[in-house]
Amino acid sequence: MKKVFAIALGILAAIGGFVDIGDIVFNVEAGATFGYQLLWAVVIGVGGIITYAEMCGRVAAASERAVFDVVRERLGVGTGLVALVSGQFVNLMTLAAEIGGIAIALQLLSGLPYRVLLVLGVVALALVLWFMPFGWIERVFGYCGLALLVFAVAAIKLEPDWGSVAHGFVPSTGSGDLAVYGYFVVGLIGAAMIPYEVYFYSSGAVEERWRPKDLGINRANVLVGYSLGGLLSFALMISAGALLLPAGISAELLGTVALVAEVPLGQVGLILALVGMLFAISGAAIDSAFSGAYNVAQFFGWEWGKYRRPAGAPRFAIAWFVMLVLGFLIVVTGVDPILVTELSVIFSVVALPLTYTPILLVANDRAYMGAHTNGRLANVFGVFYLVVVLVIAVAAIPLLLLSNMGQG
Amino acid sequence: MTTGSIDLALGVLDHQLLDVEGRRCGKVDDLELEGLGEQSPQVVAIVTGPPAWRGRGFVGRMASALARGRTVRVPWSEVSDVASAVHLRSRAAALRLGRGDDRARPFVRRLPRSE
Repeated sequence: MKKVFAIALGILAAIGGFVDIGDIVFNVEAGATFGYQLLWAVVIGVGGIITYAEMCGRVAAASERAVFDVVRERLGVGTGLVALVSGQFVNLMTLAAEIGGIAIALQLLSGLPYRVLLVLGVVALALVLWFMPFGWIERVFGYCGLALLVFAVAAIKLEPDWGSVAHGFVPSTGSGDLAVYGYFVVGLIGAAMIPYEVYFYSSGAVEERWRPKDLGINRANVLVGYSLGGLLSFALMISAGALLLPAGISAELLGTVALVAEVPLGQVGLILALVGMLFAISGAAIDSAFSGAYNVAQFFGWEWGKYRRPAGAPRFAIAWFVMLVLGFLIVVTGVDPILVTELSVIFSVVALPLTYTPILLVANDRAYMGAHTNGRLANVFGVFYLVVVLVIAVAAIPLLLLSNMGQG
Repeated sequence: MTTGSIDLALGVLDHQLLDVEGRRCGKVDDLELEGLGEQSPQVVAIVTGPPAWRGRGFVGRMASALARGRTVRVPWSEVSDVASAVHLRSRAAALRLGRGDDRARPFVRRLPRSE
């Protein structure tokens, strides 16, 4: 019973932790631009993260290796360094976008100046990371992020045409500008499969000393947690499609996102939306800062671990601190955080194959995996998603340019 | 020691080094072989530290030129087991491994609640 409870708590944290600023921006913009037509792309993205997070968790349980151990062992120093540098670049962009998002959410809640809140936000993150035990961080940010469920209520209250919603789950080429539509397909899949999630997940599994007996927990976490996280993405897109599209409002500001909950639900809706965004985005900022530290420590063989006090893994602690400082420096220049968000998702898509290819190779290697080598199902999905990832990686930059970043 | 055959490139190179206390203390950045071209070539040492990437392809050579510090040579006789990581018989400090973390620790320790 205690175990079931623990699993349920883990799943709750995963739901709150799935949605980050990339998901919020792309889902709401897609809803505001194309209504419900792109819901299918979210399904593809969620399927992708489920497939590869499950594989990473299994690799961690069977072989005690996290993603960048595997990258280093399989790609060697040369290609591995390319994977490290591109992975870190994307992590840093993501972190910068999340820090900007935190400041915007705080600004909408308090009315204080943006740059002041950037400083406050990043200092608060550093203090939380340094002083709060990790179990608490996970719970506080995961559970408070669940306030985002207000968007599910908003979606229902806005009474969308459920027939068109259902239609959106069928892949189509959409109506309107094909380049913009393609840009959003890439962005939605990329936001769902953003690589820091698997870096963080697999490193956590190694830290918690998962063994093959924990594979049930791995499957439950990934399947239920990410599927329900995907529901939040649907809710964001559906409510934006029901409210913003007919009104002709585009969603270039995070404030517009909160509006989506305020119109049907009033003040309470607005505050829940902002609090949910604040905690979900902060949780993602913490995960991406840690991911940066995990990657570099695993590549060079340093001590690492979020459950260790900084003196136990000093370079790891310095690494996440440096990530925070660099992320802050990017957004404090005044660059638009929404722009950074979109670029971080698109660049992460370009770098995805370097993360997912070595994982698929290792998950198929009996010397590493023994009895837990990929079965047919994992390989069908694994290969399918590797193809998807390769296609969107090639298409990402051309679509970014052709669609003028989704502006048409 | 693992019995049977082992692929040095896939099974040892680029793997994590763990000292006798389970501390992570570097990667197998290169291997020193002796008796190449003779009857029975042997691995005599593990070389660790980014400057050892000189022999690891174009990107490795460029990165090693930027890397500071020295490489450390760990005699193969120090290896107790090769599993998902390469396990060593001694403590990291005795083998002069993990010095980067040791150098960074006093700095981090000056801050409150670092332990």
